[in-house]
Amino acid sequence: MVKRKVKFDYARWIFVLPALLIVGVLLVYPIFSSLYYSMTTKHLIKASYDFIGLANYKEVLNDPNFFKAFLTSLVWTAGSLAGQLFIGFTAALAINRVKVGKGIYRTLMIIPWAFPSIVIALSWKWILNGVSGFLPNILVQLGICNELPQFLSDSSLVFLTLILINVWFGAPMIMVNVLSALQTIPQDQYEAAQIDGASKAQQFRHITVPHIKIVVGLLVVLRTIWVFNNFDIIYLLTGGGPANATTTVPIYAYNMGWGTKLLGRSSAVTVLLLAFLMLVCVIYFTIIGKWEKEDK
Amino acid sequence: MKRKLAMLMAGMMLVSGLAVGCGSGEKPADQQTAEETGDLKGDITFWHSFTQGPRLEVIQKTADLFMEEHPDVNITIETFSWGDFYTKWTTGLASGNVPDMSTALPGHVVEMMDAEALVSLDDLIDDIGRDKFSEAALSEGSKDDACYSVPLYSHAQVMWYRKDLLDAAGLEVPKTWAEFAEAAKVLTKEGTYGCSFPCGSNDLMGTRFLNFYVRSGGGSLLTDDLQADLTSDLAIEGINYWLDVYKNSSPKDSVNYAVLDQATLFYQGKTAFDFNSGFQIGGVETNSPDLVDQIDCAPLPKLHADDPDYGAETSNIPMVVWANSEHPEICKEFIKKLYEEDTYIEFLEATPVGMLPSITGISDTEAYQANETVQKFSNAVDVITKTMDMGTAIGFEHGPSVQAGLLTSQGIIEGMFQDIITNGTDVETAAKAAEDKLNDIFSTVQ
Repeated sequence: MVKRKVKFDYARWIFVLPALLIVGVLLVYPIFSSLYYSMTTKHLIKASYDFIGLANYKEVLNDPNFFKAFLTSLVWTAGSLAGQLFIGFTAALAINRVKVGKGIYRTLMIIPWAFPSIVIALSWKWILNGVSGFLPNILVQLGICNELPQFLSDSSLVFLTLILINVWFGAPMIMVNVLSALQTIPQDQYEAAQIDGASKAQQFRHITVPHIKIVVGLLVVLRTIWVFNNFDIIYLLTGGGPANATTTVPIYAYNMGWGTKLLGRSSAVTVLLLAFLMLVCVIYFTIIGKWEKEDK
Repeated sequence: MKRKLAMLMAGMMLVSGLAVGCGSGEKPADQQTAEETGDLKGDITFWHSFTQGPRLEVIQKTADLFMEEHPDVNITIETFSWGDFYTKWTTGLASGNVPDMSTALPGHVVEMMDAEALVSLDDLIDDIGRDKFSEAALSEGSKDDACYSVPLYSHAQVMWYRKDLLDAAGLEVPKTWAEFAEAAKVLTKEGTYGCSFPCGSNDLMGTRFLNFYVRSGGGSLLTDDLQADLTSDLAIEGINYWLDVYKNSSPKDSVNYAVLDQATLFYQGKTAFDFNSGFQIGGVETNSPDLVDQIDCAPLPKLHADDPDYGAETSNIPMVVWANSEHPEICKEFIKKLYEEDTYIEFLEATPVGMLPSITGISDTEAYQANETVQKFSNAVDVITKTMDMGTAIGFEHGPSVQAGLLTSQGIIEGMFQDIITNGTDVETAAKAAEDKLNDIFSTVQ
């Protein structure tokens, strides 16, 4: 029997090496530096610092404002995600049925993504301004409100307002991805279902949903991380106020690191955030993995 | 494969949102002066916060002129708003990425000195003429008998008002806080607000307004041993005072206002009173030219009409040279250039009355006095100049301190006002909580 020599394929490793190195540096350095600093008294503008073990974690976990920010982040993420999925999914189903000018509708829907966050935030700040804003004034002029509604400063309105702005901003991304997935569904499956007498609801449940659920699942994972980590829109619109009503964990961490300059403690917050999001990802991927197995 | 790819993407996104911190590396400062090195040669980076057109143009023009005079020098100018500038230098210091020279705010300078990030400018100050600068302005950037900053221009907070609205209501310019509150209340009608009370947590406006009141009574937001003092009788009285103004005369949205939101209301003619420096004039000129003739300023109101005159907040905007710089001699020569009479007057004229000279011998020159706005607002120039001489930066009445900087940079006093306004928290409870929070933060720098 002739023993065949196994030839190692270097080429494939050489091709992926640059990408692996970049990802490695981008992934490994920030995680480990944050992990290390989270156990020190690292100050943003002071050269020296001491190792203090888990003291920063203890401080953070004893701070009621951290838990308030965490809860705010959960509601912010769940509210934004639910709204984005509902609007994005509905818009995708609607546009999928459009026969003429689909590209125009899709382009119009994606417009919010074309603008930087600062432009979006300042535009909404201008539209919702409690003195001269277009929306509060039109609501008063139409007799819907007796006095100018304070969308960005009334504690009962501000959080809902931010979530709606985030839904407006994020739904197009869901729409585009779901629309792409919808277009990959073979039409003959619908035709076969129609011949078999399946209702529209049955077609949706047994053909549409199985085809797009993996895409939607991945979108949910990505959007959860994005929305949970979202900082710019909230910070630019309300700064986390009034009275911390819109302070999420990223804003809490920012204030800790760049406000008080306690970079060590801020790193502890981000490590806790990382741990939480990893846990969420594990749960999501377990579910998606199960779906993939079912499909096979 | 799809799953692995998604996990990789998710991992990258997690990291991009969470990355913080990096190491610091400092180069030794070159202390040589231009005289010692002979011809100037090298590249320097200058960060400044003069974001408005005319000031930006004068600085660029001066840099171009300087580079013409010194062909081996290259000056790169980068401009940031004050808010961005603070983030930029604090993060830059941690990574060793700071400029050669920059503008700063007095509170920043204290932190920069504390971090040993600056070089002494005593030789430059002596070169320009130490006696030309106000002692108080120089002391704001002094530590251990060395001066680390040089004031470029100065201004002070005063009360701005609309003459037409006061006349129409038959009101006199208020001299006391009680008269002010009453006038503001009367003038709140038909889409105009008496006075907006801003307390957005991204800015220092709530602290500024409370400081006006406390300073008018001879008090301070800091104790002599540099602890926060928000529970003194005067501070509590001040908090209640501004809450009343908010309730009776302010747009409710102002709970989230930063400096520009606040000023814009006055620029657009939507508020009858505001507190600001001479920068108010340029803002009104740009936004509502018709209103320029209707505005003027007066000293800050007092607790009692017969109380002594006072200044609550003076800002001497300084220039600093960073210890990381390889060419401090070029920076110092360039700063000296900015103080040359013609250049300096041209710079001040970029925002007339807004920027007042930080050195003597300028305000009485023919060229300075020839400016139309300076002539038109001569009363404002007098009021602000007089106020300037009596005030300090917030908290600097006890001398420059990191605590004074933290008092204004943390948004804690603003958060306190927001808590009382939005959550109905009792004033004393909220003040005590804010005081404790500030003192906790102070303890981290001691």
